[in-house]
Amino acid sequence: MVEFRNVSMSYNKGFDVLNDISFKLETGSMHFLTGPSGAGKTSLLKLMYLANRPNSGEIIMFCRDVAKAAREDLPKLRRRIGVVFQDFRLLDHMSAVDNVALPLRIAGGSGPQIVEHVEELLSWVGLDDRMLANPSTLSGGEKQRVAIARAVIRRPDILLADEPTGNVDPEMSERLMYLFVELNKLGTTIVIATHDNNLVEKIGAPRLHLEGGKLLHLEGTKKNIGLNLDKDAGQS
Amino acid sequence: MSASFDFLPKVKNREATKLLPWVMAIMVYLSALAATGSLLLHSGFDDWASSLQGRITVQITGEDRDEIIVQSLEIQQLLRTTPGILTVRILSDQEISELLEPWLGAGNVTDDLPIPVMIDLETAEDAYVNLDALESKIKGISENVYVDDHARWLGHFYNLAYTVEYTALGILVMILLASVSIVIFGTKSSMSEHKNTIEIMHLMGAQDQMIAKAYQNRFMYYGLKGGIAGLVFSFLTVFGLLSLIQNLASGLVEMPTLPYLKLASLLLFPIFFALLTMLTARITVIRALGRMV
Repeated sequence: MVEFRNVSMSYNKGFDVLNDISFKLETGSMHFLTGPSGAGKTSLLKLMYLANRPNSGEIIMFCRDVAKAAREDLPKLRRRIGVVFQDFRLLDHMSAVDNVALPLRIAGGSGPQIVEHVEELLSWVGLDDRMLANPSTLSGGEKQRVAIARAVIRRPDILLADEPTGNVDPEMSERLMYLFVELNKLGTTIVIATHDNNLVEKIGAPRLHLEGGKLLHLEGTKKNIGLNLDKDAGQS
Repeated sequence: MSASFDFLPKVKNREATKLLPWVMAIMVYLSALAATGSLLLHSGFDDWASSLQGRITVQITGEDRDEIIVQSLEIQQLLRTTPGILTVRILSDQEISELLEPWLGAGNVTDDLPIPVMIDLETAEDAYVNLDALESKIKGISENVYVDDHARWLGHFYNLAYTVEYTALGILVMILLASVSIVIFGTKSSMSEHKNTIEIMHLMGAQDQMIAKAYQNRFMYYGLKGGIAGLVFSFLTVFGLLSLIQNLASGLVEMPTLPYLKLASLLLFPIFFALLTMLTARITVIRALGRMV
């Protein structure tokens, strides 16, 4: 469960980029975070992936108020959250495999099973032949897929994605959304920030709409969340 | 204990940290030179001081050589009966010539030079010899007598030696402080260069210790690599200088006994500098990360 209670946040004591935000996301739910540029979507995600602390309010995640959690407790909590950054934030000196393996290594994993697991996932996102390539040689769409693979490799409890399908073609976009939906079915709570209204309509997940740092909570358009994909979309 | 792996990129040529092994080599080189100089000086001074400890020299000068010889024998007799004096020995002409040789050259001590008679006294270790009383007694035999108590001016040399040693220690401390500052600067520069990597690691749940470990290992390697090179060059310099002194100043300057055991402690310098570098880098990284959420 993720719950925001009257959360406000500003940068460097400036104006509030988030103003008195309250919402509750059930465990295993999937939501879209929408709103125009500058509405506060990335700031809201930053609070959720524990990169910032709010000025006021409570953020309940993992059954505790993470806004007031001790600093030394945060790394463990962060490992339960997968993040797809808008600018990918891949490490340029590492290959795609090593980038995706990072969360596993940070958690103390080592050995060939890590590589096997990572290669399987990269293969699934269509990067079989780009596994050893460095991010600087990858296209925007390829980078995005590596970033998504890195975010989901540890089967996080919460997955946060900032414009995850912004740089990929419609077919790959559907494949990636299929991955998110499947993860969601396995119990991962997912929040996807996007401008893509078609995608929101298609998936039909509830929407958190931000405008000027304030939240408008909109309901989903479909009863059942899911994708009307080709049968083999998740297998090819 | 946190897991460890090197997630940092290889150092690029343009990075400031590329120069760190060189800087550490220079620091260890200077430290080792300062320490070696201090140790050799200490050892040389100890050798010299211990050879003069408990010794007094009496010089009898005059124009009539026969007269001063007679006076010196009388003085020798007087000294032998003085309590606290263990041995009394008149130096032979040959010994005096040898003492003058480094300054005048071999065979240049001629008969027409007014060479004084010298009496070497050895005093008992626990005895107190009243030099003023002794000098006035001797002056009863000859007015042209000079009693040289080495302890008088040895004290001045002790002060000089201590000053030089403390100066060397001060130089060492300054080198250490400079090294720490350079490592802090290098670590901060490297952290700034790899800001994105550190942020990603941090946001993916890497503990501060894990990030610090990558830095401390890398910086320890720099310290060790530079330290070993610096020490090798300092040894080469010291042994080169010592052989030069031995060849050029033979006779004028007595070579000190090399304190091998103490000099061997210099082998620990690279390890010490590596640990200092490691610890400084670790503290710098932990403090910088502490400012992040």
